[in-house]
Amino acid sequence: MGGEKELLTSLLLELRRGTLTLSVLSQMKEPKYGYALVQSLEEKGVFIDPNTLYPLLRRLEGQGLLESRWETGGTKPRKYYRRTEYGTEIYEKLKAHWTELSAGMGLLLKEDGV
Amino acid sequence: MTSMEKDYMDRYIYQVVRRLPRAQKSEVRMELEELIDDLYADKGSMEEALKELGDPAEFAKQYRKDQSYLIGPEYFDTWLWFVKVVLICSAVPIVAVSLINALTEIPDLPRAVAGGLIRGITNALAACVSAFGIVTLIFTVMEHKKIQFEMKKAGKWSVEALEPVPDRKAVISRGDSVVGIIFIILLCVLLIFAPRLFSVFLKDGGSFVTVPFFNLDRWGTILPVLILSLLAGLSDEILRLVAGVYCRLVLISNIVSGAVQIVLSVVVLKLLPFWNPDFLTELQAAPGSTGKTWLLAHWDPDLVSGVLLALIIVLTLAETGVTFYKTLRSKAS
Repeated sequence: MGGEKELLTSLLLELRRGTLTLSVLSQMKEPKYGYALVQSLEEKGVFIDPNTLYPLLRRLEGQGLLESRWETGGTKPRKYYRRTEYGTEIYEKLKAHWTELSAGMGLLLKEDGV
Repeated sequence: MTSMEKDYMDRYIYQVVRRLPRAQKSEVRMELEELIDDLYADKGSMEEALKELGDPAEFAKQYRKDQSYLIGPEYFDTWLWFVKVVLICSAVPIVAVSLINALTEIPDLPRAVAGGLIRGITNALAACVSAFGIVTLIFTVMEHKKIQFEMKKAGKWSVEALEPVPDRKAVISRGDSVVGIIFIILLCVLLIFAPRLFSVFLKDGGSFVTVPFFNLDRWGTILPVLILSLLAGLSDEILRLVAGVYCRLVLISNIVSGAVQIVLSVVVLKLLPFWNPDFLTELQAAPGSTGKTWLLAHWDPDLVSGVLLALIIVLTLAETGVTFYKTLRSKAS
């Protein structure tokens, strides 16, 4: 059934969308450029399309959570992002909420016990 | 990277960047060059790299995320409401005016009605499209600039501050307000563009001879006062429409607009040379006789002014009284 697959895809997308910011912020303590971030997330089993990630990085920068600078020293110009102080503050709070949330979800799903 | 591959990269980037606001273009272009170059190094072919990125239009959409609509959910309801009111208030008067105009031009009734309707509907359609466009344009600008406006007093809501459900009788009928607005606009349009319609029509063979009631030579002085008075009424009606229930604001607006209207009516009817001073001579000279004799015998501009003024005062006071009563009652309940 195409409908079921579509529904699942859209639900999954929604589910992941909320975790994206947290995933990205978690990796940004040290400066990283976009593609290195894609790879480091992938290594940990978190897949994010570059066409979602790059715009997201810009938005997080706009919100003051990340800062960026262009490195022109290497073979080609690279844009490095890192967490701002404010970003770290927000990240810590989000992380605490996430831990709580995922513990709660764990309980809920275990209760269902399939 | 071959020059062909480089060309495809440039094409892809162009397709993304051309969809973005000017301020973002150059930065995003550099970001994409970096990204595609990395992907290319990783995948080994430009085709694979670009396929991984997917449709450039979708990519651009992600960059523009919060700007891909004209009027967002925040403004949508207000916009819809405005569009409805503006469309009704432009279409109905235009059809009516065209119909009235046609009736006075062509003596043959069915032809006049048909012609007037066709012209009216055509004009109304054109006006509706413009009105829709203008309202939408204004809201688009508001959306873009994030101009906040609240129809009712904003502020933090609290359970205690929840307004009581208005008494059914305290609710102002939107239909009444819209009819009022349409009537006022219609009158404005007629007074501005066709004051000659307020005339005695006398049939002279196939055409009409008109003897205007109003002093059209001095119309330039009289018209602004009339329009001002109508605008006072119009703003009162619009306020009622927006407020939706009888409340102190509606009452105050009604009293002010009523007072303005009475004062301006006195100015028009008693101080300005409102009536056609040559009415009787022109009527005498005009052809035809039916009904003419009665008017010739009874026409008395001072009397008409007095009766009209009394009527306006009584109606205005009555309306204010009703508003006052309903406001009080809605407060009491």
